[in-house]
Parts: sequence; structure tokens; C-alpha cells
Amino acid sequence: MISVEDRLEVEAFLFKEARLADESRYSEWEALVDDDMHYWVPLQESQEPDSDQVSILNDNRTRLATRIRQLNTGVRHAQLPPSRMRRSISNIEIEKTGADEYVVRSNVVLYEFRRQATKELEVWPARVEHKLRRKDGELKMFSKHIFLLNSEGSVRGLSFII
Amino acid sequence: MMNQTDTSKFPRYDKLITDARVHSSLYTDEKVFEDELNKIFRMGWVFICHDSEIPNAGDFVRRNVGREPVFAIRSRDGEISVIVNRCAHRGNIICQEDKGNTKALVCQYHGWAYDTKGALVDVPYPGGFKGDFSCHGLERLPLVDSYQGFVFASFNENAPPLLNHLGRATELIDRAVEMSPVGRIRLSGGWVRHQLNCNWKMLPENDTDGYHVNFVHPSFAQAIRSNYDEAVLDDEEGLKSLAKDWGNGHTELFFSPSYTRPLEWFGCAEDRHPAYTKALLAAYGEEKGGRILRDGPPHAVIFPNLFLGEMNIVRFEPVAPGVCLHVHTPMYLEGVEDDVNKRILRQSEGALGPTAFLLADDCVIAERAQNALQGKGRWLDLSRGAEREVVADDGVISSHLTDETPNRGFWRHYRSVMHPGAPTSGVSAVA
Ligand code: FES
Ligand SMILES: [Fe+2]
Repeated sequence: MISVEDRLEVEAFLFKEARLADESRYSEWEALVDDDMHYWVPLQESQEPDSDQVSILNDNRTRLATRIRQLNTGVRHAQLPPSRMRRSISNIEIEKTGADEYVVRSNVVLYEFRRQATKELEVWPARVEHKLRRKDGELKMFSKHIFLLNSEGSVRGLSFII
Repeated sequence: MMNQTDTSKFPRYDKLITDARVHSSLYTDEKVFEDELNKIFRMGWVFICHDSEIPNAGDFVRRNVGREPVFAIRSRDGEISVIVNRCAHRGNIICQEDKGNTKALVCQYHGWAYDTKGALVDVPYPGGFKGDFSCHGLERLPLVDSYQGFVFASFNENAPPLLNHLGRATELIDRAVEMSPVGRIRLSGGWVRHQLNCNWKMLPENDTDGYHVNFVHPSFAQAIRSNYDEAVLDDEEGLKSLAKDWGNGHTELFFSPSYTRPLEWFGCAEDRHPAYTKALLAAYGEEKGGRILRDGPPHAVIFPNLFLGEMNIVRFEPVAPGVCLHVHTPMYLEGVEDDVNKRILRQSEGALGPTAFLLADDCVIAERAQNALQGKGRWLDLSRGAEREVVADDGVISSHLTDETPNRGFWRHYRSVMHPGAPTSGVSAVA
């Protein structure tokens, strides 16, 4: 069991992370990320991170930095203007995996209004797994894995932070 | 020239397509789309799969040929059949899985069973079945052929041989597989299905459009140093890459003239993969091996639905006039160290698919174009660079990278397929 304080702190992190992603505040979002970050949207539910199977997205820290840099250029057409987004997070289960480390499993439904081209509402339901650690008194994430329900179906452009 | 079918109910493709322009209704009209599914995706050759996807007896993969659900399956004798995924009884889906292995094909609805070539072998409660087993097999595509392991099929038993359709573009496929020291690729990485709400023809057109790169991909250029800086992002005088029309609708952006050192196309130092370098030189000799190492893979479209996207293989799938899929997998090489295929995989994830540094931007631009072309529409100008094209002895047309030579090549062939009797493609088929 984790303490109520731990739970509140982890949930607050998740909500803040979601809000910064929803609002396309790329650099503030990136400040939540630790140096060994793995940001991943696999193609299959049972995929291993290091397999030879292609992923929809598979960023180590360096590639994630490049992604943020590209979004911050202001000329990334895929997010010009940025999608309007709101995501709801529920079914949060927190497991303490070390003195200051947590694995957090949640269900997420992200609503995206695609302003750049088709101006439709797109819905992105997913199972999400965060790995967090406390560093210098603050939580940082060093892993975020997003298992889209339709990852093996047809997937629309996904150029925002999911 | 006259042809047999009544063309009056079809759009006048000969009027809607000239060498200098095409009409936007070709991207939006439901009648055009239905007509393409028939004339291009049923009557012509379509890329289905690579034989490395189904190496063993009983292996199958599901695919769509236009709107027709099919699957490719290997039998015990090694033959690959392409079979319509529809039961001969009352039409249910036979293969529900995207891929797998099976000894027999059993319909879930009433249990009719077929062998791996689609022949009916068992009907439950046979007392009531008065038909002839041999008349109730699954529908097989009459033509299936392959080149370098790339399997193509056609619903049209009278289609000319595959090699006629590929024409000189066999050279493009050769260049792709020759990236492997043993001349074999392996498509085992899984396929990502990226949906774009635009007409399918924007995919082959954009994938070999060398003009858009500086405008659609400035964020890529600013954020990432890459081999594309030299190959596609230079100014008009500096660009050495070429746009090419190989005939029969096959087109290419030829980046190789931009590369000056080995493995530049791979985005790494020339001594980064010594075992791979050595293996290529040993397999093909100093001259050809050295050229392969410097030139890199093709960036080329094989009409209508295959994109040799450097170290990726892409299938285009039309879904509706305004919806299509860009489906990609990394092009793994046989006979190389794992770190080479690892690099191919990571580059594939970077370049293609819904989250990619490149394709995500193309996607938005194409969807905007689809939106703009609604309604009455307009003419699209394709005349750029027509006066500075060079026709080589083999008939392949080359021009400046930013010229609309590939678009013109695509549409010229398209017109000859959609409106038989109209002037054919600039390059004749293999003699
Ligand atoms: S529909 Fe297949 S057995 Fe009846
Ligand atoms: Fe592009």
C-alpha cells in the first residue's frame, strides 16, 4: 500500500503532465522528463520495447528532445495551429517499486479537435503506464508508454504530445 | 480509337488530364474512384506482400486490393495464392486475423472448409449439399507473380505479364534488394496503418514530389541535421538530386547524385557499420559495392500502390475518394548485423507514420488540399520543368529535383489506364 500523501502527489503529477500536454506547452512538459526517458506508443499490446517490431512512436531522451525542438520551431505544420485537447485520466493504480519510484497505470481518453486541417473531433482511448521517480524532492517521469486501443487499426496523424 | 466498353458514363479522362494540368474532380468524384477500383486495382497489377512475410507453408497475411478483402497464403508446395477473403457459401470472412498460420481455412459461419489453395474440401451436414465441390472453391486471383520476392496480383487474367507492367522499374526494385549483401530483404517488422483523409493519389504524387520539401518540412530542416540537407533542401542551383519518370506510372526522386561518401544516405559516418560495408563490397565487388554504399536505396513509387521509401516499404490503400491509408514497415536486410536493422527500424519510426518527423506534416498538407478541391474544383498545374527534362537512351525522363516530371509520369500512365486509347506513357514497356 502506498500512503495517501504519495497517492496525492503522484496524481497531481499526472494531472499536471496531462494539462501541459493538452495545452501544447512543450518545454514545460519536457521539464517533467528525466534524462533516461522512454516515450513509447507501441503497435501491439504485447510488444516488447526492444523487439524488431515497428512502433508508432519510440523516443529515447535524445529523440524526444528533437521532437520538442521540432514542435517549438513554430513551423511544424502538423500542429499549426496546435490541436485543442483535453484528456481525462481514471482508474489510477500506483505501485511503489523502490524507495522513491512508482509505476502508475491509468486509463486515458483524449479528445482532440484537429484545427490544422479537417476540423474534426478525434478520440484517443488508451491504457497508459508512467514510471516516476523522486529526484531532488520532485517527481520526474522516466517512462511513459501509451497503448492505444486502435494501434493496430487505422491511426490518424498524431503529432501532438500524447 | 474505340474500345469495347461504353465509356459515356465515365468521366472524359482524356479531357481531364493533359501533360500540363489535371482536373481536381479526379481527387473528389465518387464515379472516378469507383472506376479506379476497377480499372487500376482490379484490371491491373497491384502489390500484395513480400514473400518474406509468409515464409512457411500455411502462413497467410490479409490485405485489401482496392476495396476487395483478400489474403495471400503459402501452400505446402511453396506456391503463393492470393484469394478473395469471402466464403463461397454465403460470403463470410474466411481469415479474420491479420496474419497467421493455418493448415486449412474453415469458415466460422457454417464450417465450410478449404485447403490453402482455396479448394473446397469439406461441407458439414453433407446430406443437404447437392453441389459440386470443384465449383465452390474460394475465388483466387487469376494472376499472381513476383519479382525479387515482391508479390503482385491481378483480378484480370488478361493483364499483360508483370514484367511488362514493371518495365524498366525492375531496376528500382533491384536497387532496393541490393542494399542487402545477399540480395534479400525481410518484411517482418509489422505494418503501421496511417490514415489520411485525402485521395489516395496524393500519396504516390507527394512521395515523389521534390518541390514541397522546403515548404512542408522546414521544422524538420531546422530541428534535425540529416542527409536530406544535401539531397532535397538545398537551393535551386545547389540541388543535385533528380526527379525521374520511369514510365508506366513508376516515378522516383533520385537522391544519389547528392551523396559524396559511403553511408551518407544512412545518416552516419562511413566507418559506422564496418561489417556491413565489408559484406557489400565482398558481395558485389569494389565498383558496384562501392556504388551501392554511396548511392543508397531508391526513393520510388511503383504504380499504383507500392512505395520503395528508402529503407521502408509502403503500401497505399484507397478507402474512399477522400480517405486512404499509408501503410509502412521497415525494410530489413538479410545477411547484415543486427545493428544495421536496428538503425533501419529507428529511422523508419522517425520518418513514417502518424507521429513521424516528416510524414505527419505531409498528412496535414494533403488533408488541406483535399478540402480545397471540394465543390466545383479547378485545374491543377503540373507544367513545372517540362522544358528542361532530359530523356535518356533507355527512355527514362530526368529533370531537376523540383520539377513535376514524376507527377506528369504518374498521370500520363493513369490516363492510359483509365482511358484506353489515349496516348500512353512516355517510356515503352520492356521489349
Ligand atoms: S458463409 Fe461460410 S460456411 Fe456459410
Ligand atoms: Fe514530404
